[in-house]
Amino acid sequence: MLVDTILLAAEVAEEVEAGGGLFDFDATLPMMALQFVILILVLNAIFYKPLGRAIDEREDYVRNTEKEARDRLTRSEELAEKYERELGETRVKARDTIAKARAEATKIANQKVAEAQQEAVKERESAQAEIDRERQEALASLEGQVDDLSRQILEKLVGRELVS
Amino acid sequence: MLDVATPLNSLLVAELEVGKHFYWEIGNFKVHGQVFLTSWFVIALLVIASLLATRNLQRVPSGMQNFMEYALEFVRDLAKNQIGEKEYRPWVPFVGTLFLFIFVSNWSGALLPWHLIQIPEGELAAPTNDINTTVALALLTSLAYFYAGLSKLGLGYFAKYAEPTPVLVPLKILEDFTKPLSLSFRLFGNILADELVVGVLVLLVPLFVPLPVMALGLFTSAIQALIFATLAAAYIGEAMEDEHHEE
Repeated sequence: MLVDTILLAAEVAEEVEAGGGLFDFDATLPMMALQFVILILVLNAIFYKPLGRAIDEREDYVRNTEKEARDRLTRSEELAEKYERELGETRVKARDTIAKARAEATKIANQKVAEAQQEAVKERESAQAEIDRERQEALASLEGQVDDLSRQILEKLVGRELVS
Repeated sequence: MLDVATPLNSLLVAELEVGKHFYWEIGNFKVHGQVFLTSWFVIALLVIASLLATRNLQRVPSGMQNFMEYALEFVRDLAKNQIGEKEYRPWVPFVGTLFLFIFVSNWSGALLPWHLIQIPEGELAAPTNDINTTVALALLTSLAYFYAGLSKLGLGYFAKYAEPTPVLVPLKILEDFTKPLSLSFRLFGNILADELVVGVLVLLVPLFVPLPVMALGLFTSAIQALIFATLAAAYIGEAMEDEHHEE
């Protein structure tokens, strides 16, 4: 076996001389080239084109979907911001309204209290006036009675004829 | 020469036949039948894989489609890196098929026990094990880069031979011959050498010892396919380079 191996080189050289050999160019070359070109065409039709298109379409799809998603995100962020702003405005407005209502209520209450006080004062005054008047009247009638009484006393004392 | 070998040799599976061919006669022409048999196997493998991958295309790939998409993306990247983003697309089938064909050929030679299938003369091996195949591929590469250059730049392509200085014209012309030569001999030499080393080791020690060399052969095979396709793409890209516009 070892001898065989050693003789390998010699064998190769011999084969070349015998018409075979390593560097035996013949019609294999052009036919292989032709076969390879056909292989390119076939693979282009059944492999490169359809699969390439599939890859490109997927890339497009991913890109579009990503873009859409990003758009949606932006839009939703905008909406959220808008709502936030509106919420803030509404809150401020609500606070204003509450403050205004409270102020109004306070005003009305104050007014009512003032009115009531005024009325009370007025009523007290009128009551006072009535009291005054009635006292006056009482005094006046008392004065009249004084005249009467003194007259009667006089009559009793000095006699009726003298008095008139 | 092998006739001299003892009968002991024929008992062993390992037998080295170098430079023997299984000739087919087509008209007046002789072709190497063993090369075509294995190349048809490789082509069938590629075609079946492609058909399986594209039979039912899905947006979310799985199984075979996923695998072949990976392969396609790989050769696309290869072509893109060498030729450039703008021009690489039409060349993907050429560069890709070069890579796939050479890769599958080399690995079939390294992985499949072709030698066990008896044919009348010679022995089955990787198609890239034959100088005719590699020279055919290298010449096609030459044609491809000439076509690329001429279709892109017109006759101005030849003006590039005189750049940056006319002194280089002979060298550049020489390059057109050395490119296919180096391409084909590199591939041929590596694959044949690997097969021979494995063969010789198997002859000497039939068990276990050849395994590391076989693993190395797998690596070499893949690297050679990559080198061939990358260089082909680089030549095409170089031919299409328009120096006036890029500066």
